[in-house]
Amino acid sequence: MKFILLIISLLTVGATATVAQDKVPVKFGKVSPGDFAPKVYSIDSNANAVVIADVGSTEIVGNTKGWFSLEFKRYRRVHILNKNGYDISNVTISLYTSGDDEEKLENLKAVTYNLEDGKVKETKLDTKSGVFKNNVSKKWTERKFTFPDVREGSIIEYEYRIKSDFLFNLRSWEFQGSIPRLWSEYTVTIPQFINYVFMMQGYMSPAVRENKAGQQAFSVTASGGTGASERYNFTANTQTHRWVFKDVPSLKEESFTSTLDNHIAKINFQLSEYREPLTYRNVMGTWTQLAKDLLEADYFGEGLRKDNNWLGEYIGDLVKAGGSKKEIAQRIYKYVQDNYTCTSHNGLTISQNLRNIAKSRKGNVAEINLLLTAMLRYADIKADPVIMSTKSNGYTYSLYPLINLFNYVICEARLDEKTAFLDASWPRLGFGKLTFDCYNGHAREISADAPPLQFVADSLMERKVTSVFIINDEQGKLIGSLQQTPGYYESYRLRNRLAEKGKEQFFTEAAKTLHSDAVIQDPFIDSLDMLDMPVKVQYKFALNSEKEDIIYFNPMFGEGWKENPFKAAERLYPVEMPFAFDETYLLRMDVPAGYEVDELPKQLVVKLNEYDEGVFEYRITNSNGVISLRSRLRLSRANFQPDEYELLREFFSMVVTKHNEQIVFKKKK
Amino acid sequence: MMNNKTTAGKYLLSFVAVLLSLTGIAADGEYSVARIPQALLKNANVVRRLETEEFILKNPGEATYKHKIVLTIMNAAGDGYAGLVHYYNKFVEIKSIEGYLYDANGKELKKLKSKDIQDRSGLDDNNLIDDTRYKEHNFYYKVYPYTVEYEVELKYTGTMFYPDWYPQPYQLQSVQESRFVLTCPENYEFRYKAYQYDGQPAVAPGKGTKSYTWEIKNLPAFSREVYAPGNRRLRPLVLFGPTEFEMQNYKGNMRNWEDLGKFIYALRQGRDELPDDVKKTVHQLTDNLTDPAARVKVLYEFLQQNSRYISIQLGIGGWQPFDAKFVAAKKYGDCKALSNYMLALLKEAGIPGLYTVISAGEGREDIFTDFPSSQFNHAIVCVPLAKDTLWLECTDQFKSCGYMGGFTGNRHALVVDENGGKLVRTPLYSMSENRQVRNIKATLDEAGDLLLKANTLYTGMQQDDLHYLLTRLSKDKLKEHLTEELNFATYNINSFDYKEEKARLPHLQETLDVSVRGYASITGKRLFIVPNIMSKAGSRLDKDTARKYPIELRYAYVDIDTVTIELPAGFTPESVPAENKISSIFGQYTCSVKVEGNKMMYYRKLEHAGGLFGASAYEELAKFYEAIYKADRARVVLTRTEAPPAKGF
Repeated sequence: MKFILLIISLLTVGATATVAQDKVPVKFGKVSPGDFAPKVYSIDSNANAVVIADVGSTEIVGNTKGWFSLEFKRYRRVHILNKNGYDISNVTISLYTSGDDEEKLENLKAVTYNLEDGKVKETKLDTKSGVFKNNVSKKWTERKFTFPDVREGSIIEYEYRIKSDFLFNLRSWEFQGSIPRLWSEYTVTIPQFINYVFMMQGYMSPAVRENKAGQQAFSVTASGGTGASERYNFTANTQTHRWVFKDVPSLKEESFTSTLDNHIAKINFQLSEYREPLTYRNVMGTWTQLAKDLLEADYFGEGLRKDNNWLGEYIGDLVKAGGSKKEIAQRIYKYVQDNYTCTSHNGLTISQNLRNIAKSRKGNVAEINLLLTAMLRYADIKADPVIMSTKSNGYTYSLYPLINLFNYVICEARLDEKTAFLDASWPRLGFGKLTFDCYNGHAREISADAPPLQFVADSLMERKVTSVFIINDEQGKLIGSLQQTPGYYESYRLRNRLAEKGKEQFFTEAAKTLHSDAVIQDPFIDSLDMLDMPVKVQYKFALNSEKEDIIYFNPMFGEGWKENPFKAAERLYPVEMPFAFDETYLLRMDVPAGYEVDELPKQLVVKLNEYDEGVFEYRITNSNGVISLRSRLRLSRANFQPDEYELLREFFSMVVTKHNEQIVFKKKK
Repeated sequence: MMNNKTTAGKYLLSFVAVLLSLTGIAADGEYSVARIPQALLKNANVVRRLETEEFILKNPGEATYKHKIVLTIMNAAGDGYAGLVHYYNKFVEIKSIEGYLYDANGKELKKLKSKDIQDRSGLDDNNLIDDTRYKEHNFYYKVYPYTVEYEVELKYTGTMFYPDWYPQPYQLQSVQESRFVLTCPENYEFRYKAYQYDGQPAVAPGKGTKSYTWEIKNLPAFSREVYAPGNRRLRPLVLFGPTEFEMQNYKGNMRNWEDLGKFIYALRQGRDELPDDVKKTVHQLTDNLTDPAARVKVLYEFLQQNSRYISIQLGIGGWQPFDAKFVAAKKYGDCKALSNYMLALLKEAGIPGLYTVISAGEGREDIFTDFPSSQFNHAIVCVPLAKDTLWLECTDQFKSCGYMGGFTGNRHALVVDENGGKLVRTPLYSMSENRQVRNIKATLDEAGDLLLKANTLYTGMQQDDLHYLLTRLSKDKLKEHLTEELNFATYNINSFDYKEEKARLPHLQETLDVSVRGYASITGKRLFIVPNIMSKAGSRLDKDTARKYPIELRYAYVDIDTVTIELPAGFTPESVPAENKISSIFGQYTCSVKVEGNKMMYYRKLEHAGGLFGASAYEELAKFYEAIYKADRARVVLTRTEAPPAKGF
């Protein structure tokens, strides 16, 4: 054991020693004519601008308020290659504020360099008149500036420092972004008495990863209120962590991506504990501690612990109406859904108490679903809040109780041995259904035990069945009917569109997108108001076929896949589809009167892979003048790795080709 | 606010109220839904119950504006209109906001609390800084129907802009009652002009003041129609404007375009002085050029190379350009600053140019030319030359010198000089200038896969969108865009290239090399192929609606396609669409296809008219589009006459 450890540490030392190129290659103000030479960088010949260096560091220092502050420094140099790179010279710096206390931006310097007659010309930003403040919200303000004298080929450089009294806000660092970076470096020095959890993500490895022990002197001044201030000086051990990424390409958003933020190379920090010589305190704590705190907090669960008898005024009748737990829960769910407006689907905490939420009939998603939880409990149904992060907000980790990563609250209700997850914040969402944005992996039940929950898109199966019947009528014309049960989410989308457009406009538009050669009659959508179920679409039609010698007919009747959803030729990060799906299409059709079948498409069965995770079947027969077709497309997973992309694209290409094929009818001689 | 609750009494004799009191719902309020006439409920997501606007001019530089609006929201589609949003800046201050929420019976449910009003920055991504902010409120109610009432009082300390009276700005909303009152000192002359509205204002004298009142009642909801002119050309509208007005310390008069021009001219007086080094550069660039047009071009390109668009709008800076020296030093500015700078460059080169304001935007409605007022949102430069006039867009680093395109072409602009302003029409690009000429050579293989090389020339307005993408996107982004844009099921772009010829009428040449998987579909011995590979028209119109409004087609254009497809050996045609010629007041369409040996030749030409057409022509347009839609998708069917070549040995 000892032997192995020794080798590892030797290797580490050796590695740092041999990496000669591990110092930032550039320095503020040192710009030479040669730096303007590259017109194109080999990392990305299409780049409009390239970050030459982006260097940040954070240290913790003592402050004059009796505690500690973060000191963040940043230096950045960018080479602007063409006019489309100009936007990078508009800079926005966000600062956290709370009451009168705002993070302080200091020592801002910004310089544009241009090469004129072989000499480097400097133009400085006037930081007195050229930096503007914009108030974004109660918690955030911005400082904005733009570089002067920017042209094609300019090099711009800036540096600044931010002093922050908000220890929880140790700035994260993005090693990757929308333009390529040649050098991106972040150094964080943490004293022994404060601990942070580090979370690194992305698909690249750092070129340099250092970890050095050191010492730092701290000086903390505490004002004694009315009297003299006290000053403490001490020295503590520190750990300095340093990451350098070199030649980082830009990452582009492609279809079926939760959020690009989940995939770029990036490091996040979370304050976890205070240690000796400070009084020990676990800041991050455990999941059970976090749940307990949330349940006691006025901004989350305090109201749930009370006897909320006042709720009787709102839902007393719904409870008295009786029935099974599920029936009562359904009534309460519908009541909240129909009477309360969700003002933001981004919210983990509440800013008004339950009584006010009930009265005002509006709230963010946390407020709506915590009220729902309280109402269910009033009806004697066991219910707990669940916190989660939606797809667009990024992943959470079951390992770390990091409250900041969450942005959404739903309700878990226990109904006669079954558990239902409820979200009353969307007007037309079914009982026990969640939008697919919620299927983002780990979530937490906020209860005494705080067990983890998993919501995985792979577990969502969207089933769709379409049946088409076509017969010859007495005049020898083709008439028919279509019946379709779309999957749940397609039905949900349809309900929403119908509510936005109004029925009349919806049907006129819908008729236009249906089969082009058919005249549609009696379109009808069933189960529109039964929000827990898929809808049923049906209509009749007449085909206006002219009596040509040959009729070409696509048996998919406008329901086939017309385009491959995977357009890009390659993929660098996972495909994250909203759900798995299974689509069946059935056709039963008379051969048109006076015609015979000249040609039928060929049968086809294709499997995505050997694990039966995807299958496409296309079976067609003609017997005694009746054509039967069954097309089925099933994909059992929603998430695919980049190395499966090619396969997926190929698979859909076959589906599209097959769905495009025609039946040929020939007039009988 | 006015006491709405007690005025209900005077309606008691109306039929509806009597009926309601008989059925026991006697206590309905002023805004009860029962008081909406039936005709106003039809097709309405929102009923605009009452809107009163009072604009009280205290003196030429100061005014008060009181706006009260009562909306009944009938269903979820109307929710988006239920909130309040009001902008303010250095010249407009919000004095008070009141609001009430009522249920369907008109019973008050809630009153707005000032802590529920959100105050937000009006800054968007295009601006570096802007002093515009806005206040926002919403009751977020959702038991339909419900009614919201808002009353806002604003104070104007700049009077260049008067509010319009525009009672029905949105489709699917009916209007029950709307009123606009303008009050001003009795000796002050304000101006107004009515459109799509016949009524005359009621005039009433006051104490040293006079008041004019416009009113309208019971407008049923209307629906937007495709290709219709903007709502402001269709629905009642009264424009208002000052004679004398003030902005910060600048005074102006708007009685005619000349005087408005004088005000704009004064704002940029003395701001066109260039620093010496730039003057020197101007002479270096232009002194040896004799042709004035060549001088303009060289200076325009200098501007494009040495500036970028950054917007800073603070106070009078929203209307007054930054100094030319500022732009020379910082190398950025907004439309006013960059146009002013361009004029300074031209002046140094001895070319007189004119500062010009315009209402810019793709497909934007023209201004009302018969009502002088500040209807503009953009500044450009006009250079009158001996033979013709050049127009320069100074915020675009990529545009061809003198080309306006859809952003500023074909509309009126106010050209300004020391004598004031003059309205001038900017160029309309004609059918022969807006061309798309495509030539495709393709090879089809046994499996139905197509390899195609397409050469396309785009000119004038037909190159606008592509030019924009081409100059703004990197090559891989452009490929991504093409990958989204091309209308094939599964395909790869093997190569693509663009050549731009900058000129008064810009040309763009596109070369594409694309392989399309399964372009032709094969069933047994038959092969189905659509010979129109890349120019399928997409528009189809509803035929059975009774058209109310005129048809406005933005510009005329012509598309010509020539396609040659080399077919795999051993196929003969079974069905070939006949030649098709369609003629209409909207244009001419022709297409034809021939199969000769293993070659298929396709030709298509669409000459599409532009301009304004009467509502009665709609049916013809629908027919024209439907016929083209069908013809563009016509298939050729080939059958295999020989067995496919044996595979292997």
